[in-house]
Amino acid sequence: MLPNNEVRVPLPRAAAQSSAPRDITAQFTEAASKLQVGQLVKDESFTLFEAVGALEIMDSKMDSGYIAPGEDHAEALEIKYDSRQDLTAEEVVGLMDQLLCHEMAWHMGHPLSQTLFTSIYIDKLLWPTPKTIEEAQFDRAPSENRIVELVLRAYCLALLKACDYVHARVASEYYYEEEDFVTQLYNRNLLSGIDSSHFYRLLDQAIDWVENQDTIRSDFKDAIRSRLCLRREFLASVDQDLEILETHSTESFKLCLNHLASVADTVTLGKPVPEAFSLKLQRKLASTVPPRPIVHIKQEDALEQMRRLCQDAIDMQQMLDYRGPSNFKAAVWTLVSRKPQPSVYIRSLLQALIISDSSILGTVPVRKYLYDDLAELVLPASMLLRANLDDVELPSDPRFRIAQVMDSFVKRFAQPFVDTIRSACLNRCRVRRTVCHTVVDWDNLQMEAEEIDMQLQGISAEPALQVQGGDTTFSYPLSSWTYHQKLLQLRLILQMGFELSIYAPEELPGIYWYLSHLCSTHLGHLDRIRTFTVAARKRDLVSGGNDAAKSAAYHRSFLHLERLTTHIIAIDAFAIALHALYVLLARHEVLPCAAGPRAYSSDKLRYELRMKPFLPISLPELVPFEEFRREATLEGDSDTTVLDRASKAITEARKAWEATLANGAFIEDVACSSTTKSAPLAIEEDWRREIKDTMRACIGTSIAIETVRKAIMGAASLSSRQEKLSLDVVIPEIGSKARWHDWWVVPQISPGTMSLATG
Amino acid sequence: MDTEKAVSYLSGLLGRTLRIHASDGRMFVGLFKCTDADRNIILANSFEYRMPSASTVQEAAAKETESWDETQVKATRVKVNMSSRLIGLIVVPGHHITKIELE
Repeated sequence: MLPNNEVRVPLPRAAAQSSAPRDITAQFTEAASKLQVGQLVKDESFTLFEAVGALEIMDSKMDSGYIAPGEDHAEALEIKYDSRQDLTAEEVVGLMDQLLCHEMAWHMGHPLSQTLFTSIYIDKLLWPTPKTIEEAQFDRAPSENRIVELVLRAYCLALLKACDYVHARVASEYYYEEEDFVTQLYNRNLLSGIDSSHFYRLLDQAIDWVENQDTIRSDFKDAIRSRLCLRREFLASVDQDLEILETHSTESFKLCLNHLASVADTVTLGKPVPEAFSLKLQRKLASTVPPRPIVHIKQEDALEQMRRLCQDAIDMQQMLDYRGPSNFKAAVWTLVSRKPQPSVYIRSLLQALIISDSSILGTVPVRKYLYDDLAELVLPASMLLRANLDDVELPSDPRFRIAQVMDSFVKRFAQPFVDTIRSACLNRCRVRRTVCHTVVDWDNLQMEAEEIDMQLQGISAEPALQVQGGDTTFSYPLSSWTYHQKLLQLRLILQMGFELSIYAPEELPGIYWYLSHLCSTHLGHLDRIRTFTVAARKRDLVSGGNDAAKSAAYHRSFLHLERLTTHIIAIDAFAIALHALYVLLARHEVLPCAAGPRAYSSDKLRYELRMKPFLPISLPELVPFEEFRREATLEGDSDTTVLDRASKAITEARKAWEATLANGAFIEDVACSSTTKSAPLAIEEDWRREIKDTMRACIGTSIAIETVRKAIMGAASLSSRQEKLSLDVVIPEIGSKARWHDWWVVPQISPGTMSLATG
Repeated sequence: MDTEKAVSYLSGLLGRTLRIHASDGRMFVGLFKCTDADRNIILANSFEYRMPSASTVQEAAAKETESWDETQVKATRVKVNMSSRLIGLIVVPGHHITKIELE
């Protein structure tokens, strides 16, 4: 189906007027009657699949223009509501609040045709399309009623202009149509051609007028004023949303919050005017979809939506100071992981801030961002990253050639690297899906990085390092870095699977095993990186190149490796503990099962399906099913061994999570760690809360392990091994209280009641 | 007309712009894509045209009072007031079709 393109609209009309039509009813009817039942005459390129999508005319469910028999034609089309009639103050407040609900419903992802465009006031302002602010009147003529003409009109116009900015922001970033947002405008224009200064002027006039009215009760005056002020500040916020990069100020959004509070206090004053909204307006909209009902959201939900939008925008300011790539990424990730997820406008704005004018946060060139990340992980104070800065033009100088090679690396890697953080701003399902796709690209990138590494080895005459067993090897910094990115992504695929509730309970033992398997691979990789960094540092010290800048770079890199290691150990240990716990539950057949006993599915098929994103990856290789099965079921280990494994791991996990929490969300720079230590910021608070929730999940797991231990011991002493353990196991759903953390599914285990009665 | 001729006649119309008048007075203008024995017609990129409502005609007529004349009023109606909108891919059921025109 064709999208509604504004340009397209006048064309057929002109054609319709130009050529004289010929009546072919008789010939057509006769020809059609000769066709056999079921025979079609159709365009070759036209498929039946497409035909299914056609809207059926005269069908009330499909045809938005359908007027039921008996319905008065004039009534059905012409809205009888007079948009210039006088309104009471309480009606004006009520209308404003209704419109805000519709605006926020649109922000939440509902189409305009079911929200704002069902308002008769909005329709009258936008159609026929006004070219100037003066033309934007209800019914194209000023109303004699001042409260309508000055107050309600200013409110509506400013609301539409704010929608225009939001629409433009979202449409220019990555988002998913109809999943996140509907950009469809139905051949209407959100006043995009009219300068914002007019809207501020009208709002100011309206505010002035309200102040000077003696006939309006003072509480209504306040209510109307706060709503107009909210519109003014919200318009200013979205009008200049990118200026935050220069000003670092979120003043407008903060003022929005203040006005929003007063609006919330006076919501009860308003009197809704339901007759000012009509579904019939859909009959006038250019729309290729069937008619759909008006969306009604609760007033408190609308206010909360806007409040969160403003708060998220305010908190975003805290990540604008660039303090190295890992801090930047941690801040972005924490922000987009908020529950509920920040609105599509916020996620679009965030993307615009992350990368604008091919620089990060408007200040850091993409190359520097990439280099900083390389320096943090694998190449502190390395000549490879400095070569470009030295401006060597002598082709025989190795630095000249290094600079060339590094240039080609940046060209190839900068975009995918920036995209990894940008795609974190998508909706949560899409984040996981996108990573499933991009991880394959990163697998290829790793091979390319390896080739670049080998070139650089030759040019820079890197000395080989002797590793255990007597072999010598090189550092391969770029491919090590790439491999690290890939391991992060693979882990994210698994962990977001928990968050998105895609695993059946019977899969949980296996997935937690795989998670721990990935973690131990990752830990081994970090060890390798550390070994080479230590060796490079030693060489540096021997050659006497020990300046302060170098020391700081090495310090930061070691610190970064240390923090990563601690974090991954924590994940690893927790995954091992949950794996062991789930193995026991599965072994004693008390783990709930989603598949019925006769289901076609099997463990092998399920594994194949689940691990599809891992299958094309060459390193790390997908664990073959047989090996996975043995490992994931802890084949051969007795219950006692598995129990001990679980207890030991969970103790270690708790310690490691505590250490992670103590490390904090961000790496503090050595130089300014004491001076800039201010009150913890909102993003950091979110991060801490997340770690604390994980620790709560750890405690829950400890308790669950002990419950299972008691049950197993009890069963052993009764020597009734053939019977099932008397345990009730519940897997807490996402969002339920017992699900302490989205990524950690801790089973709720209680001693069973049934077998107590029988035993 | 035998079936073969009928098919070739109808095939000749494929891809051309048709105006389909429906029993409720609306007219649909779009590219002819498909039809069958029941004269159901599928149009692509279609626009819906609706006859103006009584009050808008009155308004328009009032503006045209200078040249008040039976024939001219009729002409003015269509020109000024027929409202149209894009509705895309549609199927008009055969029994609702009152008139088919070829542009």
